[in-house]
Amino acid sequence: MSDEEHHFESKADAGASKTYPQQAGTIRKNGYIVIKNRPCKVVEVSTSKTGKHGHAKCHFVGIDIFTAKKLEDIVPSSHNCDVPHVNRTDYQLIDISEDGFVSLLTDSGDTKDDLKLPTDESLLKQIKDGFAEGKDLVVSVMSAMGEEQICALKDIGPK
Amino acid sequence: MQGFSDGGADLGQLQTTMRNIEVACTSIQMHINPAAAEATILSLSQSPQPYMACRFILENSQVPNARFQAAAAIRDAAIREWSSLSTEERRSLISFCLCFVMQHASSPEGYVLAKVSSVAAQLMKRGWLDFTEAEKETFFYQVNQAILGAHGIDVQFIGVNFLESLVSEFSPSTSSAMGLPREFHEQCRTSLELNYLKMFYCWARDAALSVTNKIIEPNAVIPEVKVCTAALRLMLQILNWEFRNDTTSMKAGIDVFSAGVRHDNGSSKRSECVLVQPGPAWFDVLISSGHVSWLLGLYAALRQKFSREEPYFLLWIDPPDVVSKAIEEGKSESEMLDGCRALLSIATATTPFVFDQLLKAIRPCGTLSLLSTLMCEVVKVLMTNNTDEETWSWEARDILLDTWTILLVPTDGSGGDALLPPEGKHAAANLFSMIVESELKVASASVTNDDGDSDYLQASISAMDERLSSYALIARAAIDVTIPLLTRLFSERFARLHQGRGIIDPTETLEELYSLLLITGHVLADEGEGETPLVPTAIKTHFADIAEAEKHPVVVLSGSIIRFAEQSMDPEVRATVFSPRLMEAVIWFLARWSHTYLMPLEETNCLSNDYQQHHSVNSKKALLSFFGEHNQGQVVLDIIVRISVMTLVSYPGEKDLQGLTCHHLLHTLVRRKTICYQLVSLESWRNLANAFTNEKSLFLLSSANQRSLAQTLVLSASGLRNSETANQYVKGLMAHMTTYLVELSNRSDLKSVAHQPDIIMSVSCLLERLRGAASAAGPRRQRAMYEIGISVMNPVLHLLEVYKDESAVVYLLLKFIVDWVDGQISYLESRETAAVIDFCMRLLQLYSSHNIGKISISLSSTLLSEAKTEKYKDLRALLQLLSSLCSKDLVDFSSDSVEAAGINISQVVFFGLHIVTPLISLELLKYPKLCHDYFSLLSHILEVYPETLAQLNSEAFVHIIGTLDFGLHHQDLEVVDMCLGALKALAAYNYREICAGKTGLVSAGLGNLPEGIFSRFLRSLLQLLLFEDYSPDLVSAAADALLPLILCEQGLYQKLGNELIERQTNPALKSRLANALHSLTSSNHLSSRLDRVNYQRFRKNLNSFLNWQNKRNGWFRFLWSFLNFSMHLEALLLVV
Repeated sequence: MSDEEHHFESKADAGASKTYPQQAGTIRKNGYIVIKNRPCKVVEVSTSKTGKHGHAKCHFVGIDIFTAKKLEDIVPSSHNCDVPHVNRTDYQLIDISEDGFVSLLTDSGDTKDDLKLPTDESLLKQIKDGFAEGKDLVVSVMSAMGEEQICALKDIGPK
Repeated sequence: MQGFSDGGADLGQLQTTMRNIEVACTSIQMHINPAAAEATILSLSQSPQPYMACRFILENSQVPNARFQAAAAIRDAAIREWSSLSTEERRSLISFCLCFVMQHASSPEGYVLAKVSSVAAQLMKRGWLDFTEAEKETFFYQVNQAILGAHGIDVQFIGVNFLESLVSEFSPSTSSAMGLPREFHEQCRTSLELNYLKMFYCWARDAALSVTNKIIEPNAVIPEVKVCTAALRLMLQILNWEFRNDTTSMKAGIDVFSAGVRHDNGSSKRSECVLVQPGPAWFDVLISSGHVSWLLGLYAALRQKFSREEPYFLLWIDPPDVVSKAIEEGKSESEMLDGCRALLSIATATTPFVFDQLLKAIRPCGTLSLLSTLMCEVVKVLMTNNTDEETWSWEARDILLDTWTILLVPTDGSGGDALLPPEGKHAAANLFSMIVESELKVASASVTNDDGDSDYLQASISAMDERLSSYALIARAAIDVTIPLLTRLFSERFARLHQGRGIIDPTETLEELYSLLLITGHVLADEGEGETPLVPTAIKTHFADIAEAEKHPVVVLSGSIIRFAEQSMDPEVRATVFSPRLMEAVIWFLARWSHTYLMPLEETNCLSNDYQQHHSVNSKKALLSFFGEHNQGQVVLDIIVRISVMTLVSYPGEKDLQGLTCHHLLHTLVRRKTICYQLVSLESWRNLANAFTNEKSLFLLSSANQRSLAQTLVLSASGLRNSETANQYVKGLMAHMTTYLVELSNRSDLKSVAHQPDIIMSVSCLLERLRGAASAAGPRRQRAMYEIGISVMNPVLHLLEVYKDESAVVYLLLKFIVDWVDGQISYLESRETAAVIDFCMRLLQLYSSHNIGKISISLSSTLLSEAKTEKYKDLRALLQLLSSLCSKDLVDFSSDSVEAAGINISQVVFFGLHIVTPLISLELLKYPKLCHDYFSLLSHILEVYPETLAQLNSEAFVHIIGTLDFGLHHQDLEVVDMCLGALKALAAYNYREICAGKTGLVSAGLGNLPEGIFSRFLRSLLQLLLFEDYSPDLVSAAADALLPLILCEQGLYQKLGNELIERQTNPALKSRLANALHSLTSSNHLSSRLDRVNYQRFRKNLNSFLNWQNKRNGWFRFLWSFLNFSMHLEALLLVV
């Protein structure tokens, strides 16, 4: 998929901005940051100086929250970085279709059918097995910068 | 198998044995059937009483290896049979070995002799505590005669060699195993150290002396060299002995030599020098007998004899400039370094005064001057070739700095600095100025090699700290010269900055100032390490002639630095001069300086001693009061506060600098009440508080700084005179946070806005501040913090709901509550306690409902492990919360008791545990800190409220028992200890209940449990004690847990015991095991009550049982079949 397309989408989406500027010095470990136009979770921050008597700069190591790729960036700590707006929504799992799509129940009672199951084998198995056992499963869907993905799974027990 | 027992040995038999052994030895060497040969040799050493055969072999065999093996066999057999040998036999074995080596001293097979003499040494040690003094005397007389050279060079060598073996046997690190307890080795070592070691040393020295003259003769290699080497080796070995009993047991020694000898060996060493520590009793032998000069002479002579070089190393370090030049030109530096080490060693044994006098006899100036010149030379070399490589000059500098530190560190504990003679002072001053010059040069040179990453101030300070504090000691030794020197250096650089502003690149000067600030900070003030540091004695006692405070050199120096720092307030100057790095050094200096000099505690004490109209007191008073509250103190404080605010606002994103300001400088200020009084009345402090609540820029501080700043501001309220104003002040500070959080949580669109990054940032920031404030709650400010906490309770729950997937925010929320409850709980009245407890339970339930059964899904293993770590941190916080709640039962300052309001803390905590434990998986217990917290909470709860465990449902109960079982087998001693404590409490409670005719834990609502948790624990504890490796430290705790378990499950215990006995096949051992097991439960009048006396008796019983068992370990171990046995029992239990 092309990042450019999403970018245009986000510009058109008035009101709910996809990213916010934030001073690099205030971004900490476990927070989020946009590196190379990808939403990342920060797993490491370190500071250093530019030259002996220069100003501080921050070195970020982030993991793309969707693709799990590792990305790095260096920003002067008084400058601004983009921070993605990461949202999570819980849906009840209604069905898993043959082609790997899931059917989810939204708060308003509609169904949401455009999400694919994770591709990773073990995760897939966890969901499928749980569903097959007839457990009541709630999935958390994480969305940021126009992408979304299942990020967590919770057994809410028998009704 | 064929034995070699002596029983009725005749010559023929002995010869057969000898032949057998010889054949075996030869075939081993030739690799013919080595297994059989080894078995033959082994059978010799394993046969009972093989001594005759061995002697025969030693004396008659022509095969050296056979003789070697015979000696080894004597050793093995004698050590094994020692207790059954008669005194006569023991003595004769040793004297046989000694005579053997003496007689065969010239034998070419050195290894046989060495073996025999080591056998003699080992046997001597084995019998050391049994032999009378007279018996030992006899042996040593023989040895001494040998060493004196009465029987020729070879025997002399053998004698020294024997002593070497003996000393190494007696030193615990090199001793051989004898199957005896450690006490034995310790006793031997002490006895040797006190009674013989010095004598051996003298013998060795005399032996060496006796041959020295011959060695120095420029002949070819002669046999005397062998003796001399051995003797020197023995001397070295003795000096390396780990002396223990130096001061206390040698009173007489101290009295005689206390004038010149120091008794501290505690100071840390940079250079890896082995220091000799024989203690004062050795003074006469080592120092005064003049054999050092003999040794030096020998060294020189030998160098001359064997390498024929120039004689400049007659004194390897003198004259220093020539030496250092020679080394730079390629000569070996090892003599020079040895010389430095010698100085260090001398310094450890003397006071500065004695040290200085040492060379007076042969040189015009003292040792201190030599040391100073020498080090100056080293520093000069360091300056000229400044590389990162560790060269000889580095090493020499470190050794020499250590020497100075040893000499100058105050020893008497009074904090008084060591006084140097005038010449020594002069030397110290010279050296210090050389050091500063070199450090400045290094600093300005470092500008070009730009490895910015490693240059964080804290790191560089701690790396340099030791060096800097040594520099400070040297500077303080000549304080009247060095302070003006520093002042001059500073003013030169200030001037240079001003003249060159905008024209010349200031970086070099900035770096020099950075170094100067660090050095000056160390010279002027001590670190304090949590205490309030006093003005260094050297500074207090010197400058006696200065009566006007303004002219006091320390005031002048401090003043000039503070004025310089103040210039950073000017934006233009700041931009060109005050780089973040320089500013870090300035802030660091101000923090260190103000801790000692700003409104000092001593000021009041000093003023009250007005009647002492002495000069030095006057100058001291002038210095102390100059920056006091009634003088310049307030002005300086105002400057410092304004500079702090400026660094927080005008250096955006400089976390390190801001961290220093918050954690170091501001924290130092509010630590002292006198300063707090002044702070709260300062305009600049009010500005800081205002900026804190209103200004956007302070919201940009990093989280830790945010927290620390809030804490500092709240702490400063202790400067307000009464608690009402203090509470008002705190409320004023915090109002903006509570308002924001309440408003946010009431927003109808909370769910949609909450995840916007800007909102998350504000919330995190405010929570950090709240947390900082909560951790600063003291009795005076407790009210305000309580109200703040109560007002955000509902918002906290709302936010926890909304941010349930935002782990960073969740953690902050939990940490705030933990800190807040911890600070509040002991002050709360019962009604308030009820509210807080109710809130905590809701929080726990909410957290648990979000997280139970939740599985994070991510492709990234890093993110998954991060998620696990976050969960661990959350749980740890929750456990801390429960522990704080628990403490209400122990520490309670409220007017009414909690029970009055119907609150049962134990139930609350158990309920909490009930919520939390399902989240704590065995997987998570692998985090050591969590594990520790969990088990300390668990054991505390079980010890204090065992009855509530019965009220848990069976699932939770089983979970807790499962974790206990996990903990019992943990590697961490402390965890096992806590589990044993918990087990003891549980079993004891159960036993008491049963005795009182109640049902106890087993059936109380736990019907569907697998039968008998106590029988399970009894079995696993016995298994642990009998068959597994465990630390002896655990025995007492295990005994305490075992006794009530046995009492609870007497039937099972009997059965287990019988099984153990039945398994034993040897009838003799069977009955002994039965006896041991019997006396475990019956000796010492053990009764079936659970009181202190009874516990103590059982501890004793278990200890003796285990000791007995350990002795029998050899045959007992085979009871590993216990594994079978316990499986068998498992089956048995299932049937029942």
